[in-house]
Amino acid sequence: MKRVNFCFSTKLTFDDYVHDHSFALRIIPPQAESQNILSCSLNITPYASVRQTVDAFGNNVTAGYLKDDHRFLDFELKGSAEVDCTKYRTDYMPCYLYPSEYTIPDEALKEFYRDHQGDCNATARDRAAYFSELLSQIIVYQKGVTDTATTAAQAFALKMGVCQDFSHILIALLRMDGIACRYIAGLAFCDGETHSWVEYWTGEHWEGIDPANNCPVSDDYLVISQGRDFRDCAIDRGVMYGNYSRQLQLVRSVLS
Amino acid sequence: MTQNQFTKAVGNAGEINDLLRRYGVKFGIYKNGVFNEQFFPFDPIPRVITARDFARIEKGLIQRVDALNAFLYDIYHDKNIVKDGIVPDDFIYISKGYLAQCEGITPKNRIYSHISGIDLVQAKDGEWFILEDNLRIPSGASYPLIARELTRIAAPQAFEENAVVDNRDYAQMLKETMEYANCGGIRAILTPGRYNAAYFEHSYLAEHTDSVLVQNDELFVEDNILYHRTYSGGKTRIGVLYRRIADEYLDPLTFLPESLIGIPNLMEAYRSGNVGIINAPGNGVADDKGIYYFVPKMIRYYLSEEPILKNAPTYLPFYEEDMKYVMDNLERLVIKDVAEAGGYGVVFGSELSKERLEEFRNTIIAEPRRFIAQEVIDFLDLPIIDNGETVMRKADLRAFVLSGKTTKVWASGLTRFSRNPDSFVVNSSQGGGFKDTWVLSR
Repeated sequence: MKRVNFCFSTKLTFDDYVHDHSFALRIIPPQAESQNILSCSLNITPYASVRQTVDAFGNNVTAGYLKDDHRFLDFELKGSAEVDCTKYRTDYMPCYLYPSEYTIPDEALKEFYRDHQGDCNATARDRAAYFSELLSQIIVYQKGVTDTATTAAQAFALKMGVCQDFSHILIALLRMDGIACRYIAGLAFCDGETHSWVEYWTGEHWEGIDPANNCPVSDDYLVISQGRDFRDCAIDRGVMYGNYSRQLQLVRSVLS
Repeated sequence: MTQNQFTKAVGNAGEINDLLRRYGVKFGIYKNGVFNEQFFPFDPIPRVITARDFARIEKGLIQRVDALNAFLYDIYHDKNIVKDGIVPDDFIYISKGYLAQCEGITPKNRIYSHISGIDLVQAKDGEWFILEDNLRIPSGASYPLIARELTRIAAPQAFEENAVVDNRDYAQMLKETMEYANCGGIRAILTPGRYNAAYFEHSYLAEHTDSVLVQNDELFVEDNILYHRTYSGGKTRIGVLYRRIADEYLDPLTFLPESLIGIPNLMEAYRSGNVGIINAPGNGVADDKGIYYFVPKMIRYYLSEEPILKNAPTYLPFYEEDMKYVMDNLERLVIKDVAEAGGYGVVFGSELSKERLEEFRNTIIAEPRRFIAQEVIDFLDLPIIDNGETVMRKADLRAFVLSGKTTKVWASGLTRFSRNPDSFVVNSSQGGGFKDTWVLSR
């Protein structure tokens, strides 16, 4: 068990005024067996009235609407938690066993899976470690070559990507292997941005593995949101009106 | 009443078709990416259903829709029907209509399919079969409604001489159904706009149910409440939204981010119980062509009743035994791609060349879950007037079932017919026409 402080902020800046801006944030970490949230505060500037709900995947959703003209929107989350990765979450959903939008395997991924099937009788934990190890050998961690819309198949073709891509590819492989797994967006030590990793279902509970670093998840990982793939976990989504042509987003996160 | 008497009674079909044109009763279709508004041809000879036949259809449809609503609640909550092995997991979770985002949401009064369009055909021996369930946004109710109105103007004597159940109560039934789903506020019908296939219907129904007809840019969600922006700059709360846009486009913050016709955070308002959505998002899991096979089993499972109306005999290549049957009989079966709708993706084995048949065989073996196979039902042909002559054509019936405080079947429906004498496909997007459907009161 480890006590951690977290801080996460995102700054959205537009080059012209926007209005009627609706947003949905999945930013407040869930209270769970593996993480006890001790304190948590979310500040939004300019002021926007918000409402909280919990979505189908168990994420805390903060929905808001800014009617008036504005040129920026800032979210800042601060809090502390006790993380204990030896305690497991058990919120299973059958959809985690099936391909999702970003993780549909193409022929190349299917072939890779067939060629590297290995010992199918091993436990989910061993299978996840095995595929994560394989990926660490063939996929290069490289920023700037993929983006948030890149699918598992596309990243696999590039043999490059960031944590999100490692997670998507591992999810695609595990699901072909008949192991239910989910995408996690969260904060981890030594990472100035948000991180992503994978949880696989052992048959009884969820366990985490970090394919980008090819290691099991420890008490240094704080879950913020989860889902079938990135699409379900986007930390912020928004729709706004105006004549802006560019928006700039700055993200900063600290886990200490 | 004989056909001739009727034809005389309605006089000239041209007159009604002229009136329909004048009233703008059209049906839009996209072909090769171009939007065309087509006139939906009306045939003056009504389909007549006897009171006795209708009583049976009514009972059967109520039973079916009640079971489908129970199924939808179950799938988005405990999934007992899957756990008990009645429906295999694959048929639920691979279905495009299953929306994981809707897990755990309970619509008001547990009604998911408020307006169900159930397609039936009558076989030559008089028996009715269910062909398809439409639980998402079934369209078409306004066509027989307006045709009836116009026929009453053109040939009032036809209704004096025949005991036809008045069908003009559809709007009232719809209004009651909407009110039962209302979470506090005004009623609204959401249309994607005039370039939609059913725009005529959207405006017609809004007018007749005292609802506001809205497009997405007039709506917004604030504090998880759906509002309509008024011209004076104020806002009016919407309590129930009869939306005529597909699930995936409904809320860009939950579903397709690129949707320009949705309402951001509508799903949050819905999840919070602040607005009713007609029909509920996620219903596609229950009207999937693959799930159709399981509906009689659902009736037994949820209602402990025997199905009153039969499905067309259907085979799932997913099951080994059925696969064998399909392979042995492919040339006389009709094969449907479960992912397609509107008469697309329907292949008659008898129409395929030897090579195409072989190719198709392999496609089915490669993707058994994607197809269902059905016996071709020898439907009862109905008379239509073609260039002044009476000819016989294939026709189906879309019955409308409304689920509110009770489940009711509208005593009418949309009878669609194929204008092509060799075609079994009657969908309006495939160039068919429609008839009024008369339910007799005795």
